[in-house]
Amino acid sequence: MILDAITQWIAFTAFALIAIGGALGMTTTMSMFRSGIFLMASFIGVAGLFILLSADLIGLLQVMMYVGGMLVMILFMVLFMNDPGGSMMAGMDMSPVENFFSRGIKLMDTENGAGHEEHSGHSSPNDNANGESGKEHGMEMDMSMTTPVKKHAAVLAIVVGCVLVALLLLRPSWPISVLTPNPASAEQIGTLLMGKYMMAFEGAGLLILTGIFGAVLLARPGKFPGDASREAHVSVDEDPAPIADDPLKPLGPKSGEPREISVTDIHRDR
Amino acid sequence: MAIPLTAYLIVAAILFAIGVYSVIAQRTAVMILMGIELLLNAIGLNLIAFWRYVRPDDYSAQIFTIIIVTIGAVEMGVGLAIMMLLYRNRQTVQVDKFEDLKG
Repeated sequence: MILDAITQWIAFTAFALIAIGGALGMTTTMSMFRSGIFLMASFIGVAGLFILLSADLIGLLQVMMYVGGMLVMILFMVLFMNDPGGSMMAGMDMSPVENFFSRGIKLMDTENGAGHEEHSGHSSPNDNANGESGKEHGMEMDMSMTTPVKKHAAVLAIVVGCVLVALLLLRPSWPISVLTPNPASAEQIGTLLMGKYMMAFEGAGLLILTGIFGAVLLARPGKFPGDASREAHVSVDEDPAPIADDPLKPLGPKSGEPREISVTDIHRDR
Repeated sequence: MAIPLTAYLIVAAILFAIGVYSVIAQRTAVMILMGIELLLNAIGLNLIAFWRYVRPDDYSAQIFTIIIVTIGAVEMGVGLAIMMLLYRNRQTVQVDKFEDLKG
């Protein structure tokens, strides 16, 4: 399928904007759930770029593995987080980019925030010796989503990006080939994967197997009685509470003494 | 081939820079894993762009990308398992809190 130049440029611009905007939103929004959704948008944008580069199989793989598999895992883990919606940290000092991408997040009301602060101050009496600054520091450690080196990291990232883009622009040119790839690229990839790159394929399979074993071993509850994760599995209700008032009456024709049922009674009913 | 190769490489470079920022500046382990996925994605975009423009008759680059995606998946699975274990032991996922080896 040959697209003309205008269509190619429009598609490229759209997908590149989706990819870059999604990545930027992922790292700057205050809500972790939004981060997952933004990352999904970024992956879909890169998949569109892959398809535009006529690597259909890789684009499909990108959508299936990243969007379908990994992001479900990510969103599952986000639910473990403290404050995944970002309502506690949305009111902190934010740069304009962070403000843009975390628009619409509802703030916690100030009463709750004050209560939380007071509670945090009381819960750590050792920090009171350090004075007000220690308490403020601990507060920020609890609430903020980014590390204190955020500004340096932003400067470093901008420098890295500028250096990379400058290197790309200043480099003369690569030897561009005029060949067009075979439309049946999946067949070629399959042949290569089963022939020349057989060992890499098997190695990837072994790696996945080892990864599954490692993940299962790590997530298993511990063997020792003192393990915190074991309590949920071995805790038994030792003294169950008796049923105080049972509204159901016992079954049977008479509510008095239970009727004796013998084997002959059952046979007589037939 | 209306779009030059440099355009794709610039997109990949910007994605890489954002990933670097995300890995350094984020506090929780999930966000750091997301940043690493972004870095791997930028690498894959670079590989595919070079494949398309320089050697479109050799499909090794696509196999390289498939291997990268596989390694990313395994890394994500094991990383999330480690994070879950740490969460059960410490009740937090902020990587700055994990300062000692023996808890």
